Amino acid sequence: MKKGVVVMVGTRKGAYLLRSNGERDKWSEEGPLFPGEPVYHLSFDPRDGESLFAACNQTWGGPKVQVSRDLGKTWTVASNPAFPKGHRNTFRRTWHIEPGHGKTPNVMWAGVAPAGLFKSSDRGMTWEPVLSLIDHPTSDQWQPGGAGETALHSIGVDAGDPNRIVIAISAGGAYITTDGGASWRPWNEGTRAEFQPNPEPEVGQCVHHLVSHPAKGGVFFQRNHNRVYFRNADEQRWIDRQEGLPTNFGFAGAIDPHDPDTAYVIPLDERVRLAPKDGIAVWRTTDRGKTWKRLDKGLPEGAQAEVMREGMATDRRDPVGIYFGTVNGEVWASADGGKRFERIAAYLPPILSVSTATLE
Amino acid sequence: MSQVTVLLRGAYRDFAGRSRVPVEAATVGEALDRLAEACPAVRERLRDEHGRLREHLNVFANEEDIRRLDGERTALREGDVVHIIPAVSGG
Repeated sequence: MKKGVVVMVGTRKGAYLLRSNGERDKWSEEGPLFPGEPVYHLSFDPRDGESLFAACNQTWGGPKVQVSRDLGKTWTVASNPAFPKGHRNTFRRTWHIEPGHGKTPNVMWAGVAPAGLFKSSDRGMTWEPVLSLIDHPTSDQWQPGGAGETALHSIGVDAGDPNRIVIAISAGGAYITTDGGASWRPWNEGTRAEFQPNPEPEVGQCVHHLVSHPAKGGVFFQRNHNRVYFRNADEQRWIDRQEGLPTNFGFAGAIDPHDPDTAYVIPLDERVRLAPKDGIAVWRTTDRGKTWKRLDKGLPEGAQAEVMREGMATDRRDPVGIYFGTVNGEVWASADGGKRFERIAAYLPPILSVSTATLE
Repeated sequence: MSQVTVLLRGAYRDFAGRSRVPVEAATVGEALDRLAEACPAVRERLRDEHGRLREHLNVFANEEDIRRLDGERTALREGDVVHIIPAVSGG
């Protein structure tokens, strides 16, 4: 297989694939795939090096998960996730698709709205509801987030333990399983829900994006509604690392694949949900959030763009590539760990997600 | 049982791969079930997992919205036409 990076872009009107060589200095654009369909997320399965998954949420005819086994050349429609007969929920759309652990090569996970987790044991072609989470005793406390519906949008599989998975719901907070999904418990200690009378409830936090480290086990990072947090699996609480960021709001967050102490966020103004007046920028920490540095070289000065919760990703190359897509349809990339950004796509529909496939 | 025609428009024509499907059915619901048998790709586009017709979908028996008739129980006669039309959602 040819070395390179594919940046997968989900938009409100279809998906685009931006392909590059290993140097990441030239990009080609394919698309739109699934024209007209809101594509909330695309993902790549590094375990087989060939599968792509797309969360297509067509208004007319309902949502579909699409699966490719040839890196996006051809696509097949999978069976829909479905809540059981008589269940209070009806499947409305897919928000996130995540490959399982390397030791479970056929397992995929999907987060949907209304908030629910589904598991596939056949590489994404059929899906079973994870009722231990969907019907968790605290599920009646989940509230619709800003998107107007409850949604499970983040799935962090522990790189070191196939049985440990952390998910996040807006607005329901984070939950952890340590037995492969058979049971779940809230995992929100130390995180705030400043929009509630009790700012530190057991559940109900508005997590915007939560990720696990792709290589080092037990490392988790979340961009919350008003704060940014790190937590290792052996820690009792999330560590608040908001200080040093220019605003207390944002959607996107990513962790560096080579260094678990390095992470990236894109701060936004809470009231208007656009970049603050200085303009859109990636903020990086290299010391697990103790300090943050603005990275903006090459980015348009003062551009008050917006980046959604799935709107930023890294690749696996060294130096790491950082990518983000804006609601005004631009994709920005840095091939040198954030030293300099360049625009690699423009005039796309509003961008909902950016994710990557690193081809080794 | 009557011989009727299901006409599909817009996205539903694309899902089915054709615009006209003749079926035998006594009610609109039966006509939709026969349509899904003839065009399996349409099944999940018509109904959610609980069997309810999806949002943003209008079904007409001849020229009348089935919501103003007897829903999926609306009886069909020989030569009737069932229209599957995406709703004009989104402005």
